[in-house]
Amino acid sequence: MSRIDTPHATPRIPRRIALVAVATVAALSLAACAPGSGGSGSSTPGAIKTDLGTKATTLNVLVTTPDVALFDALGKAFHAKYPNVKVNVQSQDYTSLTTNISHVLSGTNVPDVVRIASFGNLVKDKLLLNLDPYASAYGWTKWPQSQFASTRVAANGTQRGSGSLYGVGPGFGLTGVYYNKALAQQVGMTTAPTSLAAFEKLMAKAKAAGITPIIENGKDGGTGFILQNLQMDYAGSIAPVQKWNEDVQGASIDSSATVEAATTMQQWAKDGYFAPDVNAVDQTLSPTQFTSGQGLFFPSGNWQAPGLDSAGAGKFGFFLFPPTSAGGEYSAMTSTDTVAVPAKATHPAAAAAFLNFIQTDAIARQDTVNLGGVVPAGPVNGSTPTTKSGSVVGATVSAFRGLLKSDGLADFMANATASINANAIIPQTQLLVAGQTTPQNLAKTLQSDYTQELAQ
Amino acid sequence: MGIVSGQPRIRRRHPDWHGLLWVLPALVVYTAFVLYPLLQSVQYSFYNWDGVGEATWAGLANWESLFTDPEMLHAVGNAFALIVFYTVVPILLGLLGAALIRQVRPGPFGTATRVALFVPQVIPLVGAGIAWSWLYSQTGLVNQFLAWIGLGSLGRAWLGDFTFALPAVGVIGIWVMLGFCTILLLSGMGRIDPSLYEAARLDGAGSVAEFFAVTLPGLRQEIVVCVTFTIIAALTSFDIIQVSTQGGPGYQTLVPGVDVYRLAFLDQHLGQASALAIFLTLMVLAIIIPVQQLRRVR
Repeated sequence: MSRIDTPHATPRIPRRIALVAVATVAALSLAACAPGSGGSGSSTPGAIKTDLGTKATTLNVLVTTPDVALFDALGKAFHAKYPNVKVNVQSQDYTSLTTNISHVLSGTNVPDVVRIASFGNLVKDKLLLNLDPYASAYGWTKWPQSQFASTRVAANGTQRGSGSLYGVGPGFGLTGVYYNKALAQQVGMTTAPTSLAAFEKLMAKAKAAGITPIIENGKDGGTGFILQNLQMDYAGSIAPVQKWNEDVQGASIDSSATVEAATTMQQWAKDGYFAPDVNAVDQTLSPTQFTSGQGLFFPSGNWQAPGLDSAGAGKFGFFLFPPTSAGGEYSAMTSTDTVAVPAKATHPAAAAAFLNFIQTDAIARQDTVNLGGVVPAGPVNGSTPTTKSGSVVGATVSAFRGLLKSDGLADFMANATASINANAIIPQTQLLVAGQTTPQNLAKTLQSDYTQELAQ
Repeated sequence: MGIVSGQPRIRRRHPDWHGLLWVLPALVVYTAFVLYPLLQSVQYSFYNWDGVGEATWAGLANWESLFTDPEMLHAVGNAFALIVFYTVVPILLGLLGAALIRQVRPGPFGTATRVALFVPQVIPLVGAGIAWSWLYSQTGLVNQFLAWIGLGSLGRAWLGDFTFALPAVGVIGIWVMLGFCTILLLSGMGRIDPSLYEAARLDGAGSVAEFFAVTLPGLRQEIVVCVTFTIIAALTSFDIIQVSTQGGPGYQTLVPGVDVYRLAFLDQHLGQASALAIFLTLMVLAIIIPVQQLRRVR
């Protein structure tokens, strides 16, 4: 500011040119060496241990701020079982951890367990430990494998879904539709709709009765959930979108199923099934609108369930997004709160034991539901956490266990690349709902932005 | 005459290195934390690099895509539209406001007005962005006010509206910039020689003629500073938009600053992000350097 303010500060032209010349020379000499240090060593452990011995050890766990309560509890339970291992939970806020993760993992003070939002280039840059040896040692390979689909990364470092295991989660998210029981009664809804047609009929009735059919947070991606549920319905399977999510080469979202899904969603918008401010509502506002009775349905995820139960126990219900026709396969989106072991971790054996513990221990699994609001997966015969009867948390837990068996769980399209949600899905669904783009254009843009983001 | 002609010779023999010594600490810091990162960004813009792994030479690819991506061009267009809200309106209103405040006798009212106008400069913009998005929501204060004066039918979710989102964000910009411009112009007015006003009044000028003949020319320096500062703020805007609309609805409020953030910190395409950031810097320089020339003409 003061530089601009002072009238005498303007340098004479020749000096400016000299500066530019110096800068250019400096830039050219800089350019002689490429940035980046390359891989930081091996990410595959040699001999592994599952016995933690008796030596006093401190396991450093780095998670995002909202995870702290859960991981503190998990750490305490782990310490009770392995008295020589103390778990030290540290946290960063979500955005900081997401944006700094590669620097945290390549630095000098590396944690033993870390929460990651997406793999990005972490595997390619050899920053994470390959968990395959531990998976066989602890028997994770005998569990339902769909729970590990999103945390397996192929040898090329970017394609997910197959390859080596690089992370596990204490619990899983799940999407579906919440409904307001009092408003449901007003429109004569006695059971959850079992087909898309039945679902639409209920929305039409609600609209006619002056009730907003759908509450959704269109500002930060909620309408994208509806689009993906419809997409999986019309495709008849989660496979096409799952391949796309996993960055399988040649997979495309520019398909007739996507166009059909977008067409239906646009029709819902035209019919007034969304609130008029849908594009301005975010994730913190939408549950408030829903719990205050402003709409019949709220398509969202199980992370909302504890909040809905505390806002009005017994007032809200949950059902899975219905298939196109009655009797069809149900599907939902899921994601795990992935935790991984850094390649430079000081205590990889204790870290792997901790990961095994949080997936299998009964107390840990109960903590995961109570404090994390997500559902543990783990082995088929894993303990089933208890939930209050009639609670939406209970409804989401049983829905998840059903879908885990029928393999009806797909990743979120929003996680296909790091910024596909911000760059394409959110703006495109906003345009669609506002009638500013066509379903064909939406499908085409999603695919072209995806290709562009993967290109580098 | 002899002294004058002798001076350059003396200077040549003893170049004034003392000055440099005084500047050195600042220069070291400036070089380490501004110039060096700037040059690094220029270098990165020619590579594909994720910030950790090995970088690969990209040639001009990152620069080419700046000019071929329609979303990117649209974002630049939005940044220019914001100049109206960040620069034109605050300076016009600031001139008016400063002229009015000057008429008020020094006292609690004048002080309170200045403080109120300057508060937006002190409040963190992220907090302000959140507060503004509440004001603009369907049930927010803006719509409540419209309903109260009987214009409830005009109410809408302003930041989610395809026509009004950009102007709504622009109004936040006016709110931020107005205080800065007003205070600066006010202090500039205090610097103007009172005898000029006296002369104007003797010549029979009214307050309007006085404003255009004395005040406005006297404020040339301050206006140029306001224009420079606010244009930079408009073209590089990021925080308010990231918090209030995230570039939406659709791409209506997307600006290059938000794009740079996404490319660097979400996509980890540091090369592409650097190219856009350097382009943004050059664009800002290309606009504000000519503006500086206005200051010299007297």
